[in-house]
Amino acid sequence: MVTTSASGLRRRPRVRPLRLVSGILLVIVTLIILLPVFYMLVSSVRTTADLGENPLGFPDPIAWGNYGDVFASLDYGRAIFNTALVALSSVALVVVTGSAAGWAIARHIRGWTKATYRLFIAGLTIPVFVLTTPLYLLMHTLHLLDTYLAAILVYASFNLPFAILFYVSFLRSIPQELEDAAAIDGCGPLKTFWHVVFPLLRPATATIAIFVTLSIWNDVVVPLLFLTSGGVRTVTLSVFQFVGTQNSIAAAQLFPAVVLAAAPLIVLFIIFQRQIIGGITAGIGKS
Amino acid sequence: MRLTRPTALLFIAPALILFILFTVYPAVSGLWLSFTDARGALAGDFIGIENYVKAFTDPKAAAALQNTIVFTVISVVLQNALALALARWMYSHTRLQGFARVGTLVPAMMATVAVAYIWSYIYSPITGPLNTLLRAVGLDGAAKIWLGDPTTALAAIAVVNVWMFTGYAATIYLSGFLSIPSTIFEAAAIDGARGWKLFRSVEWPLLAPAFTVNLTLSTIGALRVFDLILLMTKGGPGFSTESISYVIFNESFGKLNYGYGSSLAVILLILTVIVSFILTTVLRRREVEW
Repeated sequence: MVTTSASGLRRRPRVRPLRLVSGILLVIVTLIILLPVFYMLVSSVRTTADLGENPLGFPDPIAWGNYGDVFASLDYGRAIFNTALVALSSVALVVVTGSAAGWAIARHIRGWTKATYRLFIAGLTIPVFVLTTPLYLLMHTLHLLDTYLAAILVYASFNLPFAILFYVSFLRSIPQELEDAAAIDGCGPLKTFWHVVFPLLRPATATIAIFVTLSIWNDVVVPLLFLTSGGVRTVTLSVFQFVGTQNSIAAAQLFPAVVLAAAPLIVLFIIFQRQIIGGITAGIGKS
Repeated sequence: MRLTRPTALLFIAPALILFILFTVYPAVSGLWLSFTDARGALAGDFIGIENYVKAFTDPKAAAALQNTIVFTVISVVLQNALALALARWMYSHTRLQGFARVGTLVPAMMATVAVAYIWSYIYSPITGPLNTLLRAVGLDGAAKIWLGDPTTALAAIAVVNVWMFTGYAATIYLSGFLSIPSTIFEAAAIDGARGWKLFRSVEWPLLAPAFTVNLTLSTIGALRVFDLILLMTKGGPGFSTESISYVIFNESFGKLNYGYGSSLAVILLILTVIVSFILTTVLRRREVEW
C-alpha cells in the first residue's frame, strides 16, 4: 500500500489480480472464523430431530418456539437484571474509587504513593484461585454468600489494579494546568476532582467501564462461588446450570440458551466496537 | 492543584481499603492456608510445607502441570502465528481492514459459556458438524470422539481457545503494523526490501512491542485456563484435561481441601510470576536493542 511512486507504477498491472484474490480470501477466512457463530444462530431455530438428521443444513421448519421454552427455563429476564445490576454497580465502584486513587497517585508523587501504586499493580499478577478460598470463607463470615454485594465487592477489588494502571498512565499524559487553574479559582481538591479531573478522564473511564463489564459478563468463577441461588444468578451461571446439570441436553434447548448467553455481549461489542478496539490496542500504537 | 498528604490519603483510601479487604487480605490468608491442613469449616493447624511436599509428589498435580504446559504451548504458538499472519493480511488490505478486524474479534466478545457449549456440540461424535463434515469429504478415518478421547481432548480445547483469541491478538499486531511510520517503508522500498525480507528485517523488529504484549497476555491466560475446561470436559476423560486451575478448584471446592488447594494456587502464582518476569525481561530487551 505504501510503496507507490516509480516501482508501484511498474508493478501495478502484474500485482492487481493477485491482490483481488488475496482480498477475497481474507473475506472468506473471516467468514470461516465466524462460521461457528452462524452455526449457533441457525441451529437455535431448528428442532432437535431436524438438526440430528442433517447437522449441516438449514432450519426446516423454523422453530422459533425453541426460544420461548428456554427463556422461561433460564429465568432469562431475572438473570439479565442480576448481571446488569452486578456489572453496573461494580463498574461504578471501580470508576469512582479507582479514578480518585489514580489522581492522587499521579499528582502527589511521594514514596508512599509510589509504594501504593506498586501494591495495586502487583494485584495484576495474582491468579484468581489464590484468592477464592479465603474470599469464600470471608463472605461466609460476613453472611454475604449469595448476595449481590459479595460479587460487587470482589469484582470491584479484582478490577482496581487494571483501572488504576489505566487512570495513572492516562493522567501522566495530560498536563496539570487545568487543575492548577481550578485551584487558583478557589476550588478545593474535591471540587477540582469532580468538576475538572473526572470529566477529563472520560475516555479512560469509558474504556475501563466497557472492559470491566465484558469481564464480568464472561466470568464463571465468581458467580459459581458467590451467586449460586436462583434469585441472584447471573446469565453465565444460569446457562451453566441449565446446560451443565443435564446429562444430555436437547440441541433445541442448547442453542437458544447459548445465543441468549452470547447476545448481550455481542450487542455491547457492536455498539462500542471503536472503544473496545481502542482499549485492546492501548499503549501499542494507533488503532 | 497541590495535593497535601492528608488529601491524597483521603482520595486513595476508598480504593486501598477495598483492595486490602478483598485482594491483599485473601492473598495473605491464602498463603497462610497453604501451610495448614484446613478442610472445609475446620480451621486447620500449621503443618509446615507438607502441602507443598504433597504437591510435588502428587501424580495428579504433575499431570495437571503437564496438561497446562501442553495447553499453553499449543495455544500460544498457534494463536500468535495465526494472529500475526492475519494482521499482516489485514494490513495490506486497507479497505477490508475494518470488516476483518471486527469479524475476527467476535469470538472473543462472546460469553465463554456460549463458546464452550457451541464447540462441545461441534466436536460431538455422532451428530457433531465437524465429524459430519469430515465424513462428507470422505475422511471417515479422521472423525473422532474429540472431547471423549484422552489423546485429542486437550488439543481440542486449546483450539477453541485459539479460535476465541486469535482475532484479539491480531488486533494488537495490526495496531503494531499501523504504527510503523510510512517513511520506513519508503526507505525499505528504495533498498529493494520486499516480501519475506521486508517482514524479517523491517516489520518484525518494529512489531516487538505488540509481540511482547501478545505473548505475555496469551501465556498468562493459558497458564490459568479454567473456564473452558470446566465447561467442556470437567477435566476428563480421566484426568487428561485437568489444568492446574481446575485441580485447585476441585481440591478446594469439590473435596474442600482448602489447605492443599491453596498450596497449589500459590505454586500457580509463583509459576505465573516467573514466566511473566522471564517473558517481559527477554522481550523488552529485544525492543530496546533494536
